[in-house]
Amino acid sequence: MTATLARRYRRLLFCYPRAHRRDELLATLLEAAPPGRTRPTVREAANLIRHGLRARLGRPASRTVTAWAVLATVISGIFAAAFATRAGWETAEPLPRTAQTRAMLADLLPGEEFRSIEDAPAMFTIYGGPLRWAAVNDLLFGDGNEYSLSSVGGVVTGVPVRPPQEMLDLVRQRLRETGWTAYRPMVNDTSTTVVARRGNTTLTVEVHFVPTVYSGPSMLAEDSIFLTAAFQRATPPAVYPCAAIGGVAGAVVAFLLFGWASRRTVGRHPARWAVTALFGVTMVLWWVPTLIAVPMMAKHHLDEPHPSWHPMWEWLWQPTLSLLFVAGGGCALLCLALAALPRPRTEAVPTPAPS
Amino acid sequence: MREPTFLILTALAGVPRHGYGIVQEVGALSDGRVSLLTGTLYTALDRLTAEGLVEHDHDEEVDGRVRHYYRLTAPGLAALTAETARLRQLTGAAEARLRALRPGTA
Repeated sequence: MTATLARRYRRLLFCYPRAHRRDELLATLLEAAPPGRTRPTVREAANLIRHGLRARLGRPASRTVTAWAVLATVISGIFAAAFATRAGWETAEPLPRTAQTRAMLADLLPGEEFRSIEDAPAMFTIYGGPLRWAAVNDLLFGDGNEYSLSSVGGVVTGVPVRPPQEMLDLVRQRLRETGWTAYRPMVNDTSTTVVARRGNTTLTVEVHFVPTVYSGPSMLAEDSIFLTAAFQRATPPAVYPCAAIGGVAGAVVAFLLFGWASRRTVGRHPARWAVTALFGVTMVLWWVPTLIAVPMMAKHHLDEPHPSWHPMWEWLWQPTLSLLFVAGGGCALLCLALAALPRPRTEAVPTPAPS
Repeated sequence: MREPTFLILTALAGVPRHGYGIVQEVGALSDGRVSLLTGTLYTALDRLTAEGLVEHDHDEEVDGRVRHYYRLTAPGLAALTAETARLRQLTGAAEARLRALRPGTA
């Protein structure tokens, strides 16, 4: 009985650093356990995990170090998860090519002639092209929101043979007949948008009530668009485990680095205040956009139907505010570099000469 | 000073105790109201040791396990004395107010 309980306590005590008094803690835990207990209580387990991780920070005299460590760990884990989701998107099936897109649109709405169908240059594009070094300026300095998920689709132009409402009803009927799951339509002043999902593909169909959008420079009625349809890929399943693994890995690395820098800079370290200030700036630059963006994106997702959620980095206001993220990253690296500076040597106490 | 810290220092006043001994004494001092968890106790002991208020006293082996005993240092005794005086002053002030609310009671 005691052996089982001891084994379970020992597992929890791995939260404490190796050099910590694990045996002493185990002895106290076993002495305090009532007879017949075979497993730690939830309260006990949570207490050991919390205090074990705090012990790993190695700053027993600081009451606030745990809060700072949590801030650094959580935000680093979140950003690492966002990067990992981008890697997970590499597993997505490529978007349909022009011929396949044309066939899919013909299957959806037979008889409508879709135009302007072009291959997508990449899964995510900025200003119509894949992300390249040349686009870094756009990405960093204000146009980061242009980096988005690509779509392939086409437009139907000319004078519609059906009234807009009839066209909308036809679209919804055909979506049902061709196996798409359609979401509630979104109506605005000039058009109605229907989104749908089938397997790993999402579809956005827009039926224009007012022909204010033109496909060509001639502004002729026959160039006016009354229907658009575009396919995108839904979030691939691999994104979720990637996010979980990346997030945990990022959080663990951040926790260890925070603990190391915190222990290095305690007491008489030459860059103690600079490290503290840089850490504070990093937290502001990383947390503030995140805390603003997450509720905004949550509201956006609640307001409009989404067959597939926006990528995780958009929930962190990235890469729109990537400049702040990069600046925060620079501060964090500088922080670590300063923490690595050697500490001043304590003056050696002269030893008395042997008499 | 937080209540668990105050109780740990009080438990160590005059008598060196090991981990479980402190847990038991804190329970007794608080009439069973405070049940100190082991993780909390050792974090507090680490902090109090780093602050120089508590130090290792001696080790004893019981049933094959080594018990580490802790004792209060002189600064620890001073901190406990100061905190006790502060709490006594606050308690006295509160009691005076309560007596004024109920003039009939002693």
